[in-house]
Amino acid sequence: MQQCFIARSSWCKLHPVRVLFFAQLKDATKCDSLEIALPSPVSAEQLWAELLKKFPALAGHRSSVRLAKNFEYTAPGAQFSNADEVALIPPVSGG
Amino acid sequence: MEIEIELTRGPIVEKILPQSTGARGAWLEFRGVVRGEENGQRISALEYEAYPEMAAREIRRLLGEISTRHPCLATKIIHRIGAIPVGETAIYVGVASAHRGEGIALLAEFMDKLKQDVPIWKRRALPFVGDEVTSLNISKKQSTVSPGTLDDALAKISSRCAPLPAVRLSLQESLGRILRETICAPNDLPDADRSTRDGYAILENDCSETFLMVDTLHAADWKPRQLKISEAVRIATGASLPCEGLRVVMQENVQRNGDKIHIIKSETDHNIRKRGEEVKSGAPLVWAGVRLDAGKLALLASAGCVQPLVSPRLRVVHFTTGDEVTPPDQTPLPGQIRDSNSILIRGLLQDYSCDLAQSHLPENFEAAKEKINHHKEVIEKANVVLISGGASVGDKDFTRPLLESLGFEIVFSQVAIRPGRPMIFGVSGSRIAFGLPGNPLSHFVCFHLFVAAALAKLCGAPPGRFLRGRLSAPINDPNPRETLWPARLEWAGANTMLHPLKWSSSGDLTCLAEAGALVRVPPNSPALAAGAEVEFLTAGNNCFQ
Repeated sequence: MQQCFIARSSWCKLHPVRVLFFAQLKDATKCDSLEIALPSPVSAEQLWAELLKKFPALAGHRSSVRLAKNFEYTAPGAQFSNADEVALIPPVSGG
Repeated sequence: MEIEIELTRGPIVEKILPQSTGARGAWLEFRGVVRGEENGQRISALEYEAYPEMAAREIRRLLGEISTRHPCLATKIIHRIGAIPVGETAIYVGVASAHRGEGIALLAEFMDKLKQDVPIWKRRALPFVGDEVTSLNISKKQSTVSPGTLDDALAKISSRCAPLPAVRLSLQESLGRILRETICAPNDLPDADRSTRDGYAILENDCSETFLMVDTLHAADWKPRQLKISEAVRIATGASLPCEGLRVVMQENVQRNGDKIHIIKSETDHNIRKRGEEVKSGAPLVWAGVRLDAGKLALLASAGCVQPLVSPRLRVVHFTTGDEVTPPDQTPLPGQIRDSNSILIRGLLQDYSCDLAQSHLPENFEAAKEKINHHKEVIEKANVVLISGGASVGDKDFTRPLLESLGFEIVFSQVAIRPGRPMIFGVSGSRIAFGLPGNPLSHFVCFHLFVAAALAKLCGAPPGRFLRGRLSAPINDPNPRETLWPARLEWAGANTMLHPLKWSSSGDLTCLAEAGALVRVPPNSPALAAGAEVEFLTAGNNCFQ
């Protein structure tokens, strides 16, 4: 799948946040990852706002999706900044 | 607690062996297997997806947390991802613990939590392939269906081929066959403490300077006796020691005078192969599913297994097609080419125990059908029918109707790979058939990908696994189809290198002559740089490895 980029001229940073999509979220976004350059650390709320602007189809999944930052589930109040790898984890079904 | 975690795209063939660690009183193994039904629908395979880096960390975290409540000694977790055929293992959990209670508790809690927290997903169910049953009437319509992926095709082959009934043969006849039963050691190997030197056996802690030689033991001797202080027994390499608690002093380090010996140089080594040091009685020696080579046959002989249960000899029929091919010993007329596929198939089948019958079919459906009728008896007795060429959609391509007229149900007729997109797989009872694209390179690729997987399944061996290596040069050739790029293979353990070969068309024979591996380049892949880690399948004479 192809990567999608959000580029904002005033936000140009070297290491943007990388957001990964899995399972049904890949179908919703039609891509498996996205890079967003952030001006400063953001909350989960702000990150979601940015994602929903780009992919309105994610709205329906939001309540069931957990956020992971750098390979760990995030606690409430987590901040996301450049160079983080963020994953949107829909309900899992391994085993 | 020791923790081992693996996410794999290949079949899980793991077996845990009870190692001789005294603390381990319980060994548990759990396998989660793909059921034939999902939401009331028959399926052929389930496709799993994972976020591998996080999945491994999450599994480790869960095991760490659960083991504080149920302390165990070791765990091994393997989760397969990609398309997993019905009946095959999706997850394997092995647990070692001091007692069964904590092992069972850890296993149960781990499986529950895995299904809540570990980023692995059942992506989709692949429908049961029997629904794709076709007849001549609808076969034209089916050929417009978009081709399936490589993983889909492999899952279908795996679910539609079954191991053929095994036979018992002498060791000599078993060479090259797949062992179909696990052979265990009938006794400890070695069966007694044996000397590894020509020398003198004395008590382990005996510090005497001079010893009295009380006996002589040759390789075949069995003379138990308890040695006393200052006593020695002359012993030959390979001979059984007379009792426990001994060491052997090399004869080079001893001065002998009649029946008296004097140690002139001390040694730290005991020079003894301990009883059961190599294999304990009852432990598996050779696993079912391996190919019997000379070394394994020798091991079976040493264990007294003289009539192993092995795969039967395969019967393969191969037809070439096309009016444009001439035998290799003739000069082709303008527009003709020499037949290279016959010898290619014969060579590729060399590593499988099989009887091969080969013939050529004329490029006219009725004439071909008539000729094939002459061979009907051979075809009916064959396990595998291969047809080279005639698998595309050109007017003269008739492989599909030909296979259907022979009673084969076509399971798929295209795979989205290059080279080798027109690729037919059919089943009739326990017989299978492949229509291979006529170009030699496509032939080579499709044989290694599909025919080899089917032959392995018929023989009862696991299919070849995609391995990992690094590219020595870039591959920059984006294509919507998954590509199997021919490469020269240079084994170097973790640094196995793949040298991509120049390749311009499916008919490229020079490239085929050098290829030792097929590198998997995903569909629409961006350029792969030199040094990029890639998956590859060995090609050439590497079956079952």
